[in-house]
Amino acid sequence: MNEAIIASHVSKNYGRVRALRDVSFSVGKGEVFGLIGPDGAGKTSMFRILCTLLLPDVGTASVDGYDVVRQMSDIRRRVGYMPGKFSLYQDLTVQENLEFFATLFGTTVEEGYDSIKAIYSQIERFKDRKAGALSGGMKQKLALSCALVHQPSVLFLDEPTTGVDPVSRKEFWDMLSMLKERQITIVASTPYLDEVRRCERVAFLSEGQVMGIDTPDVILDRFKDVFNPPGIEHEKTMGVAEENVIEVEHLVKAFGDFHAVDDISFSVRKGEIFGFLGANGAGKTTAMHMLTGLNQPTSGTGRVCGFDIRTQYEDIKRHIGYMSQKFSLYEDLTVAENIRLFAGIYGMQDDEIARKTDDLLRKLQFEEHKNDLVGSLPLGWKQKLAFSVSIFHEPGVVFLDEPTGGVDPATRRQFWELIYDAASRGITVFVTTHYMDEAEYCDRISIMVDGKISAMGTPEELKRTLNQPDMDHVFTYLARQATRSSD
Amino acid sequence: MIKYLLQKEFLQIRRNSFMPKIIFIFPIMVMCVMPWVMNQEVTNIRVDVVDTDRTTESQQLVHQIEQSNYFIFNGQKATYQEALKDIETSQADIILEIRDGQYLIAANAVNGTKGSIGSSYLSQIVTAHVQPSVVAIQSKVSTLFLYNKGQSYKVFMIPALMGILMMMLCGFLPALNIVGEKEKGTIEQINVTPVSKWSFILAKLIPYWLIGLLVLTVCLILSWLVYGITCQGPLLLIYLLAILLALFFSSFGLIISNYSDTMQQAMLVMWFFVVCLMLLSGLFTPTRSMPSWAYLTTYVNPMHYFIDAIRTVFVRGGTFQSIAHQVYALVCISTLMAVWAVKSYKKNN
Amino acid sequence: MTRIKMNTFLSFVIKETRHILRDKRTMLILFGMPVVLMLLFGFAITNDVKNVRTVAVTSQMDHLTQTAIDRLAASEYFSITATVPQPQEAELLIRSQQADLAVVFAHDFAAKKSGVQFIVDGADPNMAQQWVTYAQQVILNPQSSLVNLKLLYNPRMKSAYNFVPAIMGMLLLLICAMMTSVSIVREKEQGTMEVLLVSPVRPLMIIVAKAVPYLLQALLILFIILAMSATVLDVPLQGSLGWILVVSFIYILLALSLGLLISNVAQTQFVALLVSAMMLLLPTVMLSGMLFPVESMPRILQWVSAIIPPRYYIQAMRKLMIMGVGIGEVWQEVTVLTGMTILLLVISLKKFNKRLS
Repeated sequence: MNEAIIASHVSKNYGRVRALRDVSFSVGKGEVFGLIGPDGAGKTSMFRILCTLLLPDVGTASVDGYDVVRQMSDIRRRVGYMPGKFSLYQDLTVQENLEFFATLFGTTVEEGYDSIKAIYSQIERFKDRKAGALSGGMKQKLALSCALVHQPSVLFLDEPTTGVDPVSRKEFWDMLSMLKERQITIVASTPYLDEVRRCERVAFLSEGQVMGIDTPDVILDRFKDVFNPPGIEHEKTMGVAEENVIEVEHLVKAFGDFHAVDDISFSVRKGEIFGFLGANGAGKTTAMHMLTGLNQPTSGTGRVCGFDIRTQYEDIKRHIGYMSQKFSLYEDLTVAENIRLFAGIYGMQDDEIARKTDDLLRKLQFEEHKNDLVGSLPLGWKQKLAFSVSIFHEPGVVFLDEPTGGVDPATRRQFWELIYDAASRGITVFVTTHYMDEAEYCDRISIMVDGKISAMGTPEELKRTLNQPDMDHVFTYLARQATRSSD
Repeated sequence: MIKYLLQKEFLQIRRNSFMPKIIFIFPIMVMCVMPWVMNQEVTNIRVDVVDTDRTTESQQLVHQIEQSNYFIFNGQKATYQEALKDIETSQADIILEIRDGQYLIAANAVNGTKGSIGSSYLSQIVTAHVQPSVVAIQSKVSTLFLYNKGQSYKVFMIPALMGILMMMLCGFLPALNIVGEKEKGTIEQINVTPVSKWSFILAKLIPYWLIGLLVLTVCLILSWLVYGITCQGPLLLIYLLAILLALFFSSFGLIISNYSDTMQQAMLVMWFFVVCLMLLSGLFTPTRSMPSWAYLTTYVNPMHYFIDAIRTVFVRGGTFQSIAHQVYALVCISTLMAVWAVKSYKKNN
Repeated sequence: MTRIKMNTFLSFVIKETRHILRDKRTMLILFGMPVVLMLLFGFAITNDVKNVRTVAVTSQMDHLTQTAIDRLAASEYFSITATVPQPQEAELLIRSQQADLAVVFAHDFAAKKSGVQFIVDGADPNMAQQWVTYAQQVILNPQSSLVNLKLLYNPRMKSAYNFVPAIMGMLLLLICAMMTSVSIVREKEQGTMEVLLVSPVRPLMIIVAKAVPYLLQALLILFIILAMSATVLDVPLQGSLGWILVVSFIYILLALSLGLLISNVAQTQFVALLVSAMMLLLPTVMLSGMLFPVESMPRILQWVSAIIPPRYYIQAMRKLMIMGVGIGEVWQEVTVLTGMTILLLVISLKKFNKRLS
């Protein structure tokens, strides 16, 4: 097998930060190769060097036989690249975005349609909508379509499926397999274990160094404390009282003719961990916005912590915590300053804030980073910190919108320990996620399809009644019944 | 609760790599450079003389022109055409032709002010030279200038510059700041907290008000140190006017940021209105020279009231009585804008 | 292959045009700005002496005094708001901001045809001087037949003649430099630049494609300004349209390369906006001779203004458009502009990052 990519002894420093240290690997032609590792391991730097966007400090690399330093334009003609924060043109419509990227790579949407059909067909009916008006997951799907519409000889994908629901992720990887048949070399990074398993070989990067290169099973087994940490023991009945903290009846949110949330009813008990699942565009975020008082419902009633979501939304805000994947903390403030800001907003006193800040940082073993800017922390740490800040004022309910998107398994596990800790203190947790292993951690889950709740119960109940082996299958089974996809 | 939000704003301003520089350098630059630039005084007018008479009298006249402060003698030209060539290539501004005892002054009037003032100065010199009796009449005319005895244009412009600075600091910066939070999505996080509209908005504005007042103080000190120009009226009134103007422009900035989605949009819209408000305020040109339709707009133009009032206090030494009318108008307009600003900011839609 | 390249290029241009068209508010401002500025500068912003509130001070109203006051009232420059017997009263009126100028007639004014004192609000020294000069001329009516006055190019002394080229200089710079730089930096900020760079499209083409819509927009605005100045403002186009367009085109290219340079320096839209506002717009308005004549500035600022491109453009346009001279008369300005354009274009293309820094 001839080699499509060869990296030998590549190092890259940003000032004092050593992003890559003596990295060497090679990828065969037509191979699906995974670059995996925790956040900040140097994956993105590696991608950028291979795409000729960055120059390596030391070492050489070649792609498709061309040197990344000297033969930049040859490489750029041959590779496709989807960066981690691939962003679309928000003010162009779905179709205009796709057409633009098609012509950019010298092809047309018609020519490349086959390779994007599986994903693009889900959003095709919204082709006249502006990309900025799509939900997060839908944007990602469009970005995928844009990246795949041409067929380069080498494809670099940097965490392409962050924020994408399990069903679409499967479809995406099926498409990648199709590309492989056409002898396209694919290098992808991903935090999802099921996706890691679909690679032929993976390189495990940690702190800029290659820790091992082998088949997924070998790597996952060898570094299982990183990738497959032991499950969390959780007494599920403990702390759950009879009292309802969230009660929702016949809630509807319509944008014109379109019912983003279409008559949902459910209740969440105090101290419960409630998983709010659904495909991209099923209406999760809209529903959450109504519960947190960011949006008014079109019809229906709801109470959070005993307050009406229609009239008493300002009271609700005093009794809840909220954390979203998109933004949680101010990046230009330090850790301590962020805590102080949000604690102060909820009316805590200075001495109390100071004391609890020290307690919290000690518990997170984060004291030495107290005065670091949040922007300089790795993603996983940011998310743990953001969660801790969102429950700092001991709210009745905390709403978590995809809190662990793009976070590696070990950090996710630590994150869930924090969630359990909060629940044991009587804080109700309302969480959305696309990780099905996390769905298993919830006390109760609901699955939204097309704006309606199509199933609700404990994970065991759902598996039993729908006769599926695990949550992944439950989700796939229900989500495949969807007829629309948008929010 | 507002204390914590204020702390956050100040920290963010300090951390920003650009902001402290702007806040520091901008006022100094404006105060030290602008008064020199905004000089409408007409001097150094280059004169071409076409003297076909060649008499002693005409030569004396040329000599007089050379001695005047306003003119620079550019040279004798043989013909009018030749002199005109000089004007076309911008080597001269004005031509004096002496032929058969007749005098013709031709001035480049592309810049109307310069052309008319230059030609009237020159015709005064010529008239005085030819008909000393006119001078005798004119010498009996005396002029008493009230205020600004030194006839310095800087005295006139410096208070206006303070207005421009307040507008920049209290209008543009908070507007961009809020649209910035919108673009990043951080505003959503604040919207799910119990922070009230008022505290959020106040926390955004107060830092810039304080910065604005600080800058104003720096300006007052600089104008004293650099130009020896001091405020003739009570300083407190200057601050009162500045606060009112700051209130207006920050409300205005807030309204624009509430209705804009991107920074570029906010900046352009803001810029557009600011340019119009400024040009129509009487800052550069007297409002009474405007046609009536334009003059009508000054009734709702807060910048006009501000410029009028601050010049009255700073240059003419006015007291509260003399600017009461302007202060009330500013209070009304600013309050109206503030209410609109708070109303248009929505936490829940 | 070339056809495909052309397609890609076109689709780029279409995409950029869409960005511009989608943002209705920005569009409105960009096209509304020239119109509003032209109207304001054409009509509203003038230094003309007009409607000066004048107080006549006379203790005895004889025939000659009356004629003098009537002459003042009849002129469009002055409007008599009050007639008072004592100068102190007039001064009070000025101090309370109810009058700008007082004309004090001596009691023997009629006899000697002299003895006039002006009391004037000197806060604005320029205007104060002009008021006095005008009033003097109206009252004393000196025999001016001795001197023939001829105001070249702008006989009615309209400020629009002076400002139209200035507005062109400012707006073209604003649109081409600021908008281009912001639109490039936005792609950097949003992360799309990474994809564009890795695509087979040559980086130079990305830049050229970005510049084309703004270039067209700038030309369109140029036409709007020229048309308005000829029709609405009555500022006739004296010179040859062809040369005006050629010089403007050089200037637009210069502005585009400046924008490109800014986009290389700035990492965020915020910085790009501030840099173009502070480093481009402010010096243009202040130092280019647009509002304030360069000759009146201190020597050191005159040197600074020598490196400001709009200065040469505005000067060239004043000559070409208003004075109607031939291209031979402006070769200096055009040479400087061309030199600057080439220099900036070379620097900005050299500096353009083909990789992430």
